[in-house]
Order: sequence, then structure tokens, then C-alpha cells
Amino acid sequence: MHHQRRSGVRALAAITAAAALTLAGCSAPGGGSSAPAEVTDAISGPVTAEQVAQLGDLTLSVWADQGEQDFMDKVIPAYEDAYPNVTVDIQYKSYNDLMATVLNAMNSADAPDVTQGNQGWATDGALVKAGLIRPLDDLAAAYDYEAAAGDSITQLEWSADGSSFGSGSIYGMSPDNQMVGIFYNKAKLAALGLDVPRTLDDFDKALAAAKDAGETPLILGNSDKASAMQTLSLVQGALTPAADTRAWITGVDGATFDVPSNAEAIDHFAGWVSSGYVSPGYDGTSPDDAVAAFAAGDGVFFIGGNWYAGTIADGATFGFAAGLKDGGYASSGSFGLPWHVSAKSDATLAALAFVGMINSADTATTLASVNRVPIHAVEAGEPGTIFPDLLTASAEQLDNGGPLYWYDWATDTMFDTFTSGLQEVLGGQGSSSDLLTQIQDDWAAFHTK
Amino acid sequence: MRIREPAGPTRRRRYDWGAYLYLVPAFAFYVVFLLRPVVESVWIAFFDWDGISASTWVGNANFADVLGSQQIWQAAGHSMVFIVFYALVPTVLALVFIGVIARIRVRGLAFFRAALFVPYILSTVVVAIAWRWIFAESGPLNTALRSIGLGGLARTWLGDFDTALPSVGVIGTWVMFGLAFVLFVSGLQAIPAELFEAARIDGAGPFREFFAVTLPALRGEIQVALVLMITAALRNFDIVWNTTSGGPGTSTTVPSYFIYREAFVTHHVGRASAIAVALTVLIIAVVATVMRLTREPGGGAR
Repeated sequence: MHHQRRSGVRALAAITAAAALTLAGCSAPGGGSSAPAEVTDAISGPVTAEQVAQLGDLTLSVWADQGEQDFMDKVIPAYEDAYPNVTVDIQYKSYNDLMATVLNAMNSADAPDVTQGNQGWATDGALVKAGLIRPLDDLAAAYDYEAAAGDSITQLEWSADGSSFGSGSIYGMSPDNQMVGIFYNKAKLAALGLDVPRTLDDFDKALAAAKDAGETPLILGNSDKASAMQTLSLVQGALTPAADTRAWITGVDGATFDVPSNAEAIDHFAGWVSSGYVSPGYDGTSPDDAVAAFAAGDGVFFIGGNWYAGTIADGATFGFAAGLKDGGYASSGSFGLPWHVSAKSDATLAALAFVGMINSADTATTLASVNRVPIHAVEAGEPGTIFPDLLTASAEQLDNGGPLYWYDWATDTMFDTFTSGLQEVLGGQGSSSDLLTQIQDDWAAFHTK
Repeated sequence: MRIREPAGPTRRRRYDWGAYLYLVPAFAFYVVFLLRPVVESVWIAFFDWDGISASTWVGNANFADVLGSQQIWQAAGHSMVFIVFYALVPTVLALVFIGVIARIRVRGLAFFRAALFVPYILSTVVVAIAWRWIFAESGPLNTALRSIGLGGLARTWLGDFDTALPSVGVIGTWVMFGLAFVLFVSGLQAIPAELFEAARIDGAGPFREFFAVTLPALRGEIQVALVLMITAALRNFDIVWNTTSGGPGTSTTVPSYFIYREAFVTHHVGRASAIAVALTVLIIAVVATVMRLTREPGGGAR
């Protein structure tokens, strides 16, 4: 009985394994090699209602980041008015969800017609490489986008096979500008008798004065690991030419991050930490908690992205300034999440009209009304809020040194390399020269693949 | 149902194939949703694939890469530390409680069982966020320490390179303790009272009674608890992700964190699969060791 049961169990195991293997299919995973997306229906001017009407009644499926909801609530009705035969079906996803699923969704049979992606190798690069999104050169020309974007358009340009970015066709369009800047507490600065610091020297002096007066000079929350990297950009942008940093990030041949000015920047930031200028326990504090504390009156300065203006909204108490003059006001920043059109869409004209409308100069005022900073010039925002400061800062940066993009765009593993290493240097557990070597090695390994 | 015996000299079947047909639906579900993905993952680990485009065969390269990666070994080391916090500490603590309960009548035991079990059934995200607040610079733990004069010990527990890993471990202990406690209490209640009486008649004190009666009787529960808790420790992702994201530096990284990043952020699905396979092998090895160590003395499956 024992013997027979064992052989029965063995037989069952064999059948199971065979079934599983067959189902798994013993072929190489993944589709065939993908051809780059081609444009067969280039437009020559803004999409008209008549052109879209020819498509008959249709539904335009759109995927967007959760943060777009305020803006979309205004844009979608305007779009449906202008193009009455189209109904927009929009799905919102959290940022992490969107990044994790957009690639597979765009590859599926019922891919959304329009979606947001993310600049950099992980998302946009993969989308371009797999031929899933349509080049948008014709759309950008038709809606005068290139003039508004200026030099920073390089963040949206990719080679046809997705192997390099910074030049090539335009694959996405984004209407708003995100940047890291200096939030400051007006009352406390006044109490210290200081102006808003615009140079690195002035900033150092302001931090020291704040510390002497018993305030927390700089609030920081870095449990997400990204925040310290963004704070660093203020100093790094002041010491190293922005164009050099952008060249390194977009993978220009021979570019290097391991230069003395960057070592100086990291050491300078580490100096702030060791002098006690930074709020204690920052590695265990989330950025949201840090922002909430600053908005409640803690600390004199907070260096962070202009998207925090939703929380630090009171223009009477707080102000926002662009980066430091030493570097042409450069700091980490880029356009917001870009909008893409699916290469497989059967409603391409309607999709182009949608993306074009979002990025047009007319819609810029709508964007400003929900406190996002458009790249097109708009009238100064509502006084009393912090929003006018955001507009000024954005214009200052775009007109001068320009944004530094984000360091983690440089390679697909750069986020971990840079952020973990920076935490160690700031915590006194490593040296800036070791960190720069690791960062540059990561970059070199990625670009020789 | 009559078993039809085939005529002739064939051997009489001892079991009924017809009965296995009832297993087919569940079996099909199991194969499609459990076995097939596992086999597929192992298969994908031999390729370099970004999840969409064509893949290229790389043979053992992914595995070699993973096994040679200092980052992954460091993460595996952290997982081993978590085994101590997620499995060993809660088990020992629960056994201590059980030893006490066996001797003292506790009122409202049902309430305590329910209350202590709640952490285990809470969503891990909720747990992580709650504990992030507890461990915060100005959170309840530091406030309490300062108020009793131990302010020197106060620090940002999750942000400090030395204390981040044990702090995340403590969260795990808090979650898993309830599981061990509930399992052991039900095991305790299954022990016949005669055994305890016999022990007392023979003059056994509390320690002797615990090691001679209670502990051996709980062997099965201890095995189950250890297996569940060790698997949780080695698979740990949510709690680390929502408290420290593997930081500060790399002091709280775990293998699951790298699986997530490779699969969903950097799109190296082959490498993610290789890490997953390695992690599975590690879990099987550890669990097998535990089951061997906790099996009935004298051999034989339980």
C-alpha cells in the first residue's frame, strides 16, 4: 500500500510538472523585435473639429497620474465641447502604480490612446524602444510647443530605437514646469534681519544666523531618499555649470560627474549637516511630514519641489525663490510627466488634438488656475498665495541656467546608487570622492552596454 | 460506489481514480495560477528581458550576476537578521507568556487573544505608517524616553544607520507576536489536563513542567508558527518599503526590494526573476531546516 501510494504520488507529480511546463510554454518570453513607431499621418496645423468629426463617434481612453485630476476636470469638458463626437474616458493612477503598469498597458491589445509617462530610461526609454508611442514632432510644430520649451525640449527627445535621449524626435509633450527651489518663512527672515539669500555665500550666512538665533535653519525629510538629492541640487547647481550636468544626465560621450566642483558641492552640503543646520533625524522623516512641519511654522528654509506649494500655500507667511544666482538659478527640475500618444491608437487625430490642447498656450491659464506652473508665459497668479513666486522662479530658471533635470535620470540604477551613497556621506559614513566614483562607474557601465 | 475490478490476472487497484476527478477544478486553478507562474519565472530568469520587447537568452548570467552581487548578499544578510526579530523573538516571548498562563488563571483570555492578534491582520502599510510615527524624532517613543530621563537614548530610530535595521525588526516582532501567541494558546488548551496533574503529582516545578509537558505538546504549533514567520521575514517588502525604502544608505535593504526595482522600475525582468528564484531557494532551505529541527524525535512524519 505504501509503495503503491508513493508511485501514485510520483505519477501525479510528473503530470503536474508536465502540465505546468506546457502551459509556461518553452519559448523565449516577450514579443518579436519591435519596429520603431512611424508617423504616417503627420498633421500640419492644429487639429480642427472637422478633422476629428470625420472619425465618427468615439471614446478616447486616457491614463493620467492622480495629481492631474484638478487640471483634467477643467480640460476634459473644454475638449469635449470643442470636439463633440469624442467622449473622454480617463483613468487616474497613483505615480508608483502608473510607472509600474504603463509599459505593459501600452503593449496590450487595448492600450490607452493617450497616457502620461516619465522622462528617463525606465519609462519613456522603454516605451520608445518598444515602439509603443508615436513621435510628436508634427504636433509640437503645429502647436508652437518648441518655442515655449526652449533648450529643455531635449528631455523629451529620443533616438528612434530608444537607445539615447537628449536628441532625436520629440516623443512626449508636457505643459508644466517642476523645479526645486527655496521655500522661506518670511516672518522669521525678517526677524533675523535678512533678505532672501540668492547666492551660496548669502545662504550659508543665513543658515548660520538662523542657527545662532535658535531656529532650525533647514527642514529636511529624507525617508524617501530622493529629497536630500533634490536639496543637493541647489548647491551642485550653484557650483557646476548646468549644461555640463545636463550633458552627463543625457549620456553625452565623455561627460563625467566626477569633477572637483561636484565634490565641493557634496562636501558643502555635508558641512551643513555636521554644523547642525539641518533638522535632526531627517533620514527617518518623510518629506510629507517635513513639509507639514514647515507649513506649520517650523524652521526658516525648506528646499523642495514647487509641487509642495499645495501645502505651503500661504503667500503671506511663505515665499518661494529659484536656485542660487551663482549657477544661473539652476537646480533639479524638469517638465512634469509628459503626455504620449499610443502608436497603436485608432483615434490618433483625436489623441493628437487632446495632447495638443493640453500643451497649448491657451490652456496655460487653466493650468495656472490650479496652481501648476505652465511653461508658457502667463499673467501673475492670485496675490496672497505663493503662486506668483512660483511663476517668477520658473521664468528665472528657464531664462538663465535652466533646469538640471534629475540625477536619477542618468541611468536606470542611478536612483539607488546616488541616494543611498548620499545618505552615507551626509551621515558621515563615506566620502564624497568615493560617492562620485561610484556614480561615475554606474554611468560608465550603463553607457557601455 | 462500486470499484469495478478488471477481469483477468491484473492486480486489483487499491484506490479509485474516479475520486481524483473531483480534484480537477482545484488542481487546474492551482496549476494555472500557482505552478505555471513559478515555472515561468524560473524560465524567464534565463533571459535578458525588459518585459515587452524580444528577449535574449543569457543562460546562467543572471544567476551568476545575482550570486556575485554584494548588494544582494547584504540584503540577504538583513533578511537573516529579520528572522531573529520576526520568528525567534516572538516565539520565545509567546512561549514565556504561555508558560505563565499555564500556571495562572487569566481572566478575559479570549479578549487578549483577539487584541494581540490584531497587529497580524492589520494592513502592513498601516503598520508601517503607524510605527514611522512612533519612531519619529518627536514621536511617542522619544518623548517617553525623555520624560523618564533617558533622553540620551532618544534618536531617529529609522534614520540612524545603526538602529534602522533593529527598529524595522521590532515592528516585525510586534506584528508576529500575536500570531505565535494565538497558535500556542490554542495548542495549550488542547493539552489534556491529566498531563499537568501528573506532572504536579510527581513534584515538577514550573520550569520542569514547562519543558516536560507544555513545550513538547506545542511542537506542531511551534513548527507552523516558525514556518509562517520565517517566510514572512525573508519575503518582507511592505514594511521596509514604507518605513525606510531600504535606507538609510543600504542598511535595511531586503531581496524583495530589489525584485521590485528590477521588475518594475529598471525593467530587467530576467534579473528580477533570478533574484526571486534565489530567494525561493533560500526560503525552502531555511524552512526545511526548521522542519527537520522541530520534527518528532524518533523520526516519522507527523
